[in-house]
Amino acid sequence: MSKSPDFKTALLMSTVLSLLRKDIRLFLRNKVAFGLTFIVPLVLVYIFGQVFGVNRSSSGPTGVPIAVVNESDAAVATAIIEAMEAESAFQVIHTWEDAAGVEQPLTADRARELIRDNKMRFGLVFPPDTMSEERFGLRLIFLNNPRNEIETQTVTGLLQKVIFTSAPQALMTSLKEQAESYIGTAETTAFYDGMARTISDAFDLKYETVRADMEAGVMNFGADDSASEEGKADSADASSFIDQIVAIENEQLAGADVKSPAATRVVGGWAIMFLLFSVSGASTALFEEKQAGIFHRLLASPVSRSHILWSKYLFNMLMGLVQLTVLFIAGQIMFGIEVIPHLPSLLVVALCASIACTAFGMLLSAIAPNPAAASGLATFLILTMSAIGGAWFPTSFMPEFIQSISKLTLVYWSMEGFIAVLWAHKSIFEILPILAVLLGMAAVVNVFSVWRFNRGNLFE
Amino acid sequence: MLTISSVSKSYGSLTALSDVSLDIAPGEFLGLLGPNGAGKSTLMSLISGLKRPDAGSITLNDISTTNGDHQARHELGLVPQNIALYDELTAEENLQVFGELFGLDHKTLRERITEGLSAVGLEDRRKDRVKSFSGGMKRRLNIIAALLHRPKMLLCDEPTVGVDPQSRNAIFELLEKLNREGLTVVYSTHYMEEATRLCSRIAIIDHGKILASGTLAQLLEQLPSAERIRITRSDASLLALPELEALGALVTVDGAHTLAVRAGTQLSTVFQVLEKHGVASAGCTLTRPGLEDVFLHLTGKAFRE
Repeated sequence: MSKSPDFKTALLMSTVLSLLRKDIRLFLRNKVAFGLTFIVPLVLVYIFGQVFGVNRSSSGPTGVPIAVVNESDAAVATAIIEAMEAESAFQVIHTWEDAAGVEQPLTADRARELIRDNKMRFGLVFPPDTMSEERFGLRLIFLNNPRNEIETQTVTGLLQKVIFTSAPQALMTSLKEQAESYIGTAETTAFYDGMARTISDAFDLKYETVRADMEAGVMNFGADDSASEEGKADSADASSFIDQIVAIENEQLAGADVKSPAATRVVGGWAIMFLLFSVSGASTALFEEKQAGIFHRLLASPVSRSHILWSKYLFNMLMGLVQLTVLFIAGQIMFGIEVIPHLPSLLVVALCASIACTAFGMLLSAIAPNPAAASGLATFLILTMSAIGGAWFPTSFMPEFIQSISKLTLVYWSMEGFIAVLWAHKSIFEILPILAVLLGMAAVVNVFSVWRFNRGNLFE
Repeated sequence: MLTISSVSKSYGSLTALSDVSLDIAPGEFLGLLGPNGAGKSTLMSLISGLKRPDAGSITLNDISTTNGDHQARHELGLVPQNIALYDELTAEENLQVFGELFGLDHKTLRERITEGLSAVGLEDRRKDRVKSFSGGMKRRLNIIAALLHRPKMLLCDEPTVGVDPQSRNAIFELLEKLNREGLTVVYSTHYMEEATRLCSRIAIIDHGKILASGTLAQLLEQLPSAERIRITRSDASLLALPELEALGALVTVDGAHTLAVRAGTQLSTVFQVLEKHGVASAGCTLTRPGLEDVFLHLTGKAFRE
């Protein structure tokens, strides 16, 4: 007896729904799949959102430390510094702590030293001749260590915005004061009155508004620059004018002699991320050997758990070292990164980074119940650590609490080591603190892993 | 040679082994027979030193096997239940890895690899990766890997799981040969026919306890009945039932009577009763008792594989 089309459709739907229910049940019981589907994207979306300023009044960095040294007595310098202090992107630093822990006022040389040592990356010096009678306009010195291109470009842009917003008004006020001192108040007032009259007649503006703007130092006399395209064009003209009267001298304090700066800046972050993926992949070999029953055979021979773990550790560490070395040498061949001249220091950093990354891989084996969980956890941790550790974006673009967490990641410290060698050309002695942090992290993670291995069922 | 004294092992609330004692003499081929979950693998793990007992001791020639003593490990060879080989390595490379762990020098190891591979018919595959091997070939190699260091005792934990009959026979022949040459073998299995064929002594284990041990004959002697006769139900057979009940235990299931002949009763007596009542001999089947009957007798339930 043939079935009706409705019956067949109902049967098909019922079968599909049964299979669908089964798939949903399996998915909900698979914690790894659940985590990879929801938790990993949500965490990364949050980090990306923070980086790109979603839900914040402004995107870009917050609280970037910038050393400010004012050697000038010009009022315009004070006005610019006040504007910088009001800008959330900057954390204006005026002092430094000496060996005795006493706060000392920053000098230009001390600021240079701090920036060269990567204690901070930007500085603004107002030299004694910030305003000079011998020339028109301002002179500023921008100190920087542009080890992160995105950060440097963003900070430079923000700094220009602050200066160009606050300088003209202060500059005009300052010029008026100078004029008064040279030709007297009455003459200056007469000159301003005349100028205001001429401008208001020529541009059909209200005299009182133009005169008040001139008095206050406002450059776009009486115009509402958000009101019309014309206004915007006027504003652009004003900026171009300011650009010519504010001379910012760029003083790069590190990496100036780096031959391939763009590649040198990013190579460390990418290398360490790939190393983490390799090491976590290799660590799942422990699970494979367990599942194959090889541990039983090994442990029934004169082999202990420690032998097995040490062999895995050494293997992953050597693999990491070789991988990093190959990546860096490839970087020299393909992008001209100067690797060979710094090879000994680089190898030491690579070794310490490999040790730390291997510790991370062993941790995954120690805490994950199976290879699928280890793989899922690895994906989550590697992407998160790379994001907050600064492998993708400058850490200064992230909220302050993420910036403080980033220093707990081995990605951050590995990158610090690589950049210290390749960008700042530091010696092994100079990077010892970074190496100590990496090795310390590895030690802490290893102690925890051993504790977990002794209580886990990897060898059962 | 191997003395297991009052060994117990639990996993949380689950008792895997309870007060197990067993002595194994040199040259024996001991079968550890029990259903899945009986405690065989736990006992093998304890003997090979992979796990420590909660109570009791295990010694091999007076050396404890459970405290990581290297001497004990040199005297034991373990054939794990899984095929514990590296798929991506060749047969020879696998054997090199496991041989080196026992400190065998290069020359000796090479000789033993050649000898072992030829013993299981894999000499011409020594350079092939294990992943290209059939299940039976892998199982044979799995055994050779446990023999490279010439152990005095071989522990085989269900070594024929998933093996085709031909490879199974090859494995049996190898183990029998090794046993004839003096190797002591402890062989865990849930296949009764394997225990029957291979083992000089069988220990039956269930729910973590050794229920009985002895030769097959000794175990069968424990049965209250010897043979079983299955009789197809008929009018004639119904007439014979009262007399048959006097000769043994009689059960009627699914249109047939099964008589477990009482030990000491002559079979001819039974057949005389059947003939007297006109029961056709074509409707009768005689079966010899086996290990399943022993297990049923000891536990009161059928053997579950």
